[in-house]
Amino acid sequence: MTCVELERSLAEVEDGSRPEQQNHLKTCAKCAALVAELSEIASAAADLRANDEPSPRVWNSIEISLRQEGLIRPQRPRHSLLPSFGSQWGWVRWLAPAAAVLLVTLGIYFRQPSHSTSVARVEVKTPVMDEAKIGGLNDDDLLAEIAEQPAALQAQFTDNLRRVNQYIQDEKSSVDADPNDEDARHSLMEAYQQKAMLFELVLDRSLQ
Amino acid sequence: MSGRTIQFAAVSSAMAVTLLAGTLLAETHKEYRFNVGPKAGLSVNNPYGSVSVKPSNGNIVIIDAVVASDKVEVDNSLVGNRVEVQSHLKAGADAQSGRVDYEIFVPADASITLHSSSGTLHAEKLHGDVTLEGAGATVDVHDVSNAHVHVKTLNGPVTLTNVQNGHVEVDSLSGNVTLNSVTGPLVQVISTSGGISYIGDFGGRGDYRLTSHSGDIEAIVPDTTSFDVNARSVRGEVHDDIHLQPNPHPTFALTEGRAFWGSKGSTSVSSIVVLRSFSGKIHLSEHATKQ
Repeated sequence: MTCVELERSLAEVEDGSRPEQQNHLKTCAKCAALVAELSEIASAAADLRANDEPSPRVWNSIEISLRQEGLIRPQRPRHSLLPSFGSQWGWVRWLAPAAAVLLVTLGIYFRQPSHSTSVARVEVKTPVMDEAKIGGLNDDDLLAEIAEQPAALQAQFTDNLRRVNQYIQDEKSSVDADPNDEDARHSLMEAYQQKAMLFELVLDRSLQ
Repeated sequence: MSGRTIQFAAVSSAMAVTLLAGTLLAETHKEYRFNVGPKAGLSVNNPYGSVSVKPSNGNIVIIDAVVASDKVEVDNSLVGNRVEVQSHLKAGADAQSGRVDYEIFVPADASITLHSSSGTLHAEKLHGDVTLEGAGATVDVHDVSNAHVHVKTLNGPVTLTNVQNGHVEVDSLSGNVTLNSVTGPLVQVISTSGGISYIGDFGGRGDYRLTSHSGDIEAIVPDTTSFDVNARSVRGEVHDDIHLQPNPHPTFALTEGRAFWGSKGSTSVSSIVVLRSFSGKIHLSEHATKQ
């Protein structure tokens, strides 16, 4: 079984429990990681309740509490590679799976045309707006992470961060102008995907 | 020329030769071989330097590494049916002293995953899955078939040539992406500011989506191609040099010069093509097929 065949077979047996799936997973770390992620997302998705989304005030309160406890700070004092909640970059790492869940959720909506159109559109817009708020905090973390990199590299990452933020902003404007524009929503998701990739590349570099 | 000048020149030359010799001596070649089974895996993580992967004869993986200095060493292992290679940087290593250039031969059906920050990532003549990631890496893939091809770069240029029946996903923030004869059930390119160029037939019954925020998108197809295409740029110009049958039911407003939506050829075998940019230009044209 190849990686392609495994991915296709996951549509039928998603937990990778079939013997041929198991044989492939024993020798392919990439697919094993994929199946593990899918299991995590599936369990997390089961707990998602769109109507129970906390208000922005709740998030603000959490942020204030964390700042008071010193768990997050405006500037990180030194380069840390540990993915703990105690480091500022740790928050970014936890946002990566959150972003993945967001993208998967959006993807599910885009692939379910049978939903009532009006209901689906309202549901899609809500996580997009929340993600934009989360995205605003992340930039400082990324800039702190690249602060110890050579100047030329810092300039590259900073420039790309600026461009991808502009990308998100522009696509958000398109969605706001016409919330029924499915193509614009798709493009907004792609813009977020680009930003997630930028963080991934920074993370890869910081871990070397 | 005074005697003192000649003496100075001689000493300088001797020092330069010594330094050059030292550099050459520090660079070493290493070769590793692993016997593997069918559909093996290869994973390479190389912070500085290039990685080139080509098909081998038989079920063997051969790794030829050129190591720049003793500031870096090559760690490798065979785990199950998977070969893992890591350039292990030691204290004080930088882009020069930590450089390793790999030339690797794998069975053609092997799946490969390559990471590099700065070197060229190259894969050719394979039919296993190909995953290439690197910040500034230049990516070059050609003659790959029946495989997933996933590429992620920050600003390195990406060139894919003759990829058939592929599941292709390219994400590049600011590097230009060039696809030459790339077909498959899914071909997707996303770029923030890089340009995207597609040259070739859109194949049959595939989904092609080329998206850039500010980069230009150029697609040149043969006049025998069948496809359904919609193109749209919010602020850029959109040009279409092909006579398309207009779509009577577009799902977005077709502003003149900003968007078009139509089909060409036989709809029963046509692919769906989406070209989208926010502020870049989009240009679709065709060339005559040689008889």
